[in-house]
Amino acid sequence: MSDFFTLASLVFVVGSGIRLATPMLLAGLGEAIGQRSGVLNLGVDGVMLLGAFGAYYTILETGSAVAGILVGVAVGLIMGLAYGVITVTFGAEQGISGIGIYLFGLGVSDLLFQKQVGTPLPIRGFSDWHIPFLSDIPRIGEMFFQHSVLVYMTFLLVPVVAFLINRTTFGLDLRAVGENPAAADSLGVSVARVRYSAIMIANLLAGLAGAVLAIELGIFQQNLTNGQGFIAIALVYFGAWRPTGVMAGALLFGLVSSTVLQWRTLGIVSGAASSLMAMAPALLTIVALVVISRTVGQPSALTRPFDRGK
Amino acid sequence: MRRFKLRSKRQGGRIILSALVATLGLLAGACGSDGGSGGAATTTASPSTTATPTTTASPSTTDAPATTEPPAEFRVAIVAPSASNDLAFTQSIVDGVAALSGVTEVHVTDGTFIVDEAAAAVRAYAEDGYDLVIAHGSQYGGALELIAPDFPDTAFAWGTSGNTFGLANVSAYTAASDEGGYVMGAMAAALSESGVVGVVGPIEVGDAKLYVDGFVAGAAAQDAGVEVNVNYIQSFSDVALAAEAAQGHVANGADVLTGTAQMVVGATGVAAEHGAKWFGTQANQTPLGADIVVASQVYKWEVVLQGVIDGIKAGDLGGEAHEINLANGGLVIEFNDAIDIGDVKAVGEAAIAGLGDGTLTTAGPPAEFRVAIVAPSASNDLAFTQSIVDGVAALSGVTEVHVTDGTFIVDEAAAAVRAYAEDGYDLVIAHGSQYGGALELIAPDFPDTAFAWGTSGNTFGLANVSAYTAASDEGGYVMGAMAAALSESGVVGVVGPIEVGDAKLYVDGFVAGAAAQDAGVEVNVNYIQSFSDVALAAEAAQGHVANGADVLTGTAQMVVGATGVAAEHGAKWFGTQANQTPLGADIVVASQVYKWEVVLQGVIDGIKAGDLGGEAHEINLANGGLVIEFNDAIDIGDVKAVGEAAIAGLGDGTLTTGS
Repeated sequence: MSDFFTLASLVFVVGSGIRLATPMLLAGLGEAIGQRSGVLNLGVDGVMLLGAFGAYYTILETGSAVAGILVGVAVGLIMGLAYGVITVTFGAEQGISGIGIYLFGLGVSDLLFQKQVGTPLPIRGFSDWHIPFLSDIPRIGEMFFQHSVLVYMTFLLVPVVAFLINRTTFGLDLRAVGENPAAADSLGVSVARVRYSAIMIANLLAGLAGAVLAIELGIFQQNLTNGQGFIAIALVYFGAWRPTGVMAGALLFGLVSSTVLQWRTLGIVSGAASSLMAMAPALLTIVALVVISRTVGQPSALTRPFDRGK
Repeated sequence: MRRFKLRSKRQGGRIILSALVATLGLLAGACGSDGGSGGAATTTASPSTTATPTTTASPSTTDAPATTEPPAEFRVAIVAPSASNDLAFTQSIVDGVAALSGVTEVHVTDGTFIVDEAAAAVRAYAEDGYDLVIAHGSQYGGALELIAPDFPDTAFAWGTSGNTFGLANVSAYTAASDEGGYVMGAMAAALSESGVVGVVGPIEVGDAKLYVDGFVAGAAAQDAGVEVNVNYIQSFSDVALAAEAAQGHVANGADVLTGTAQMVVGATGVAAEHGAKWFGTQANQTPLGADIVVASQVYKWEVVLQGVIDGIKAGDLGGEAHEINLANGGLVIEFNDAIDIGDVKAVGEAAIAGLGDGTLTTAGPPAEFRVAIVAPSASNDLAFTQSIVDGVAALSGVTEVHVTDGTFIVDEAAAAVRAYAEDGYDLVIAHGSQYGGALELIAPDFPDTAFAWGTSGNTFGLANVSAYTAASDEGGYVMGAMAAALSESGVVGVVGPIEVGDAKLYVDGFVAGAAAQDAGVEVNVNYIQSFSDVALAAEAAQGHVANGADVLTGTAQMVVGATGVAAEHGAKWFGTQANQTPLGADIVVASQVYKWEVVLQGVIDGIKAGDLGGEAHEINLANGGLVIEFNDAIDIGDVKAVGEAAIAGLGDGTLTTGS
C-alpha cells in the first residue's frame, strides 16, 4: 500500500480519474439539462455509441479530429430531434422510448462498424495540451493541466451549463417546464419548444461525449461505451440535477475507478479482492443515490408528457 | 400416325364447361405459341383436332398404303404440371413423346399444379384404357403409388424419379441434369465478365437441384473466383418471383443467368432487358431470346421412353428406372449459333467430352455442414472472438458459418446456442468459458447436435460436447521472455481481463517467461475485471506507463484501448489471440496467434463420421495451434532470437512454463 501513497502514484490517480470522468461528465451534463425540462432519456448510451462511431469513422476517413467532433455533435442533434419527436410531439412513454434509442444506437453503431470498417484501426485525435505555465507547476500541472483539449473543454462546460440553467431566461423556462409545465404554459412558455431545445442540447452533448471517448481512446469497438451512458444518468441523480453535482459525481466515480486500477497495477489487490474492488465505483454510486434520493426531490414533471388539452 | 387430344381436367360430362375450358385453352395456346414451338401449340390447343374422329389416327385418314396393315393402336396420356409449350419441364415430355415411334395417339392434360387434379386425370386415363399413362412430375409420386395397383394391366411412367415403388407396371425416369448443369456452369464462368453468375431455381428438389448443383460445380471447376449466387424461389410457378430473383442477381452484378423449371420465363425477360446471357435447361429456350440464350440442355425423354413403349408392347409393363444423360443421348446441349461466344463454346464441348469419357465428374458442392459460433465480442476484435471466426473460416468441409457475436450477456448467448441447435446446425460453438454452465444444460436437450466450447477442458461427460483450450501460457512465456529482453526501463505492464481461463494462462506464462529471461525485470499485472471495458483497459495501460513500463502486453478484446496508450507513449506491445499488428505497426512486436482450426478440423471430421464429441482438445506450439507471428517492420535485434529460443525450448521440452 505504501507504493500507492507516493506522490507519483497519487498524481497519476488524479489524472487518470479526470480522464475517466470526462465522457461521463459530458453526457451527464446533457442529461441534467434534459431532465430539468422533465424529459428522461435512457438512450444516452446509444447516442454516445452513435456519436463515437460517427467521429471515429470520420477521422478514419478524413484524418480530421475536428471533423470527427462535428460529426459526433451532428449525430447527437439528429438523435435529439428524433427523440423529441417521439417523446414531445407524440408523447410516447419516455422510459421505453429511451431504451429503444439505446438499442438502436447499440445495434446500428455495431452494424456500421462491422460493415464500414471491420478490423479496428487506430485513429489519431488531439495531442495533450500542456497549458503554458500551469502545466509546469510540480504535481499540480501533471494532474490538471496536461490533458487533451477535450478534457478542458468538458470541465469548462460545467459553469457554462450551470449559468445556462440558473442565470438565463432559457434556464428559468427549463426549470419551470420541468417542475410544472401547465403553469409554465399558462405564463406563455412553449413547453414543446423548451423541451425540444433541452433534448437537442442533451443529445448534442451525448453525441459529443461519444466522440470524445472514441477520440481519446483512438479506437472504436462494439459497445465501446460499456454502459457509461447509464452511469451518466445515475450521475444526474447523484448530482441532484446540478452541473456541479454531476461533475462531483463523475470525478468521484472516475477517481475511485482509477484508484482501484492503480491498486491492481501495483499488486495491492489481486484475486477475489480485485473483483470486489471492481464493484466499488458502482457501489459508491448506489449508496450516494440512496442518500440523495431521501434529501433531494427530482423535477416534479420528470417523465411526464405534457398535453395542453388535458 | 397419331392424334393429339386435349382432355378436360374434370370428368362428368359438363359439356358447356368443357367447351369453355377448351376455348380458353385455345386462346391460351394461341397466345403462348407466339413465336414458339409450333409443335407445342398443336399438342395442347387443338380440341378440334382431338375431338373430331376424322383427324385422329383412323385407318381412313392414314397415309399408309391401303395394302399395309395399320399400326397397332398405342395410346399415351401425359399429365403434367405446367403448359405443354412452357419451353421447360412439360414441353420436354410432350416433345419427347411426340418423337416416339409406334404411338398412335397422345393425350395431354397440362397445367395440373394441383396434385389432386393430376391424380384424377391419371385415374381417368387408366380407366379409359390408355396403354401408357405418364405422370410427369415428382410431386405426383404419392398419388401414382395409390392408383397404379388398381390398374395392373395399364402401364404407368413417372418422373423425375428413380422410384418404381416396387410395382411391376410403373416405370420411373429421371435426368442426370447435373451433367448439363456442369457444362452450362463451366461455360457461364468462362463467359462472365463481371465474375458474378445468377441462378434462379424453384424448390431444392429433384432434377432442379441436380441441375443447380451441377451448374455450381461446373462454374467452380472452370473458375473458382466466379461468384455463383443461387436463389431458390420456393415456387415452380411464380413467374413474377422468378423475374424478381433475376432482377436481384443483375443488381448484384450478375451478367450471366440460368434457371430451371417452368417459371424461368420471367427470368429470361429480365436477362434480355439487361443484356445478360442465359443458359437454359429442360427444353431449347432459344425462343425466349435469340440474342441472350447461349445454349440449352435439352431433355430427350424419347431415348428412354422408346424402350419403355417397346417393352409394353412386348408385355413388360414396367418395374424399372431409367435415366437420360449425356452419354446415352438423352441429354443434349444445343448451342444457339446466333450468338458468338468465341472460345466459350470450346469450354462447353470440353466439359461434355470430359463427362462423357469420365475424366470429369459433376461431384457438386460438398455435403452441407453448417457451423454456428456464439462469441462474446465483435468478430473482428483482433482478439478472442476473431480467433475462432478466423479458425472456422480456415476449416475445410464447412458450407455455412453463422456468427452471433457481442453476446457478453450469458443468457443471450444461451438463447443463441439453443436457437442454432433447434435450427439443425451441425456444430454449435459456444466460444467463451463463461458459457459452460448454460451449455451443460442445453446440450443434453439436443443429443443429435454436436457442440464445442472453450476455452475449457471440460466436456461435462457429454458425448455431444467437445471442449477446446489453448496452452496460451506457452506463447505468454515466449512473449514474456522477449519483453524482458526488450525493456530498457526494466518495467513491463500487463493488462488482463479477469483472472480465469486462457487469459490467466497467458499472463502467468508471460510472468514466468519474463522472470526466466531476467529476474530483475518488474512485471506489473493489472486485471481490470472486465472483458469489455476499453476505457478502463486504456487507463490501466496509462497506469503502467506512469509506473515506468516501456513494454506492455494484454489479453482479451478490451486491449484495443491499451494499444492506443502504448502507441501514444512509444511503448512496445506484445499481442495474443490474433495478430494485433493492425493496431500499431510500429509498436506491436509480435503476436501469439490462435489457430483453432488445428483441433476443430478433427472435431468436424469426427462429426461427419458420427462421433459428436466427448473429448477435450488443446492447441499449443507443438501442434501448430499456437503460432508466434513477428512484426518484421520492427527491428528488435537479438530479442527475436530470445523468442525463437524460447519456442524451441518449449517445443523440445527443455523449457516449461511452470503453469
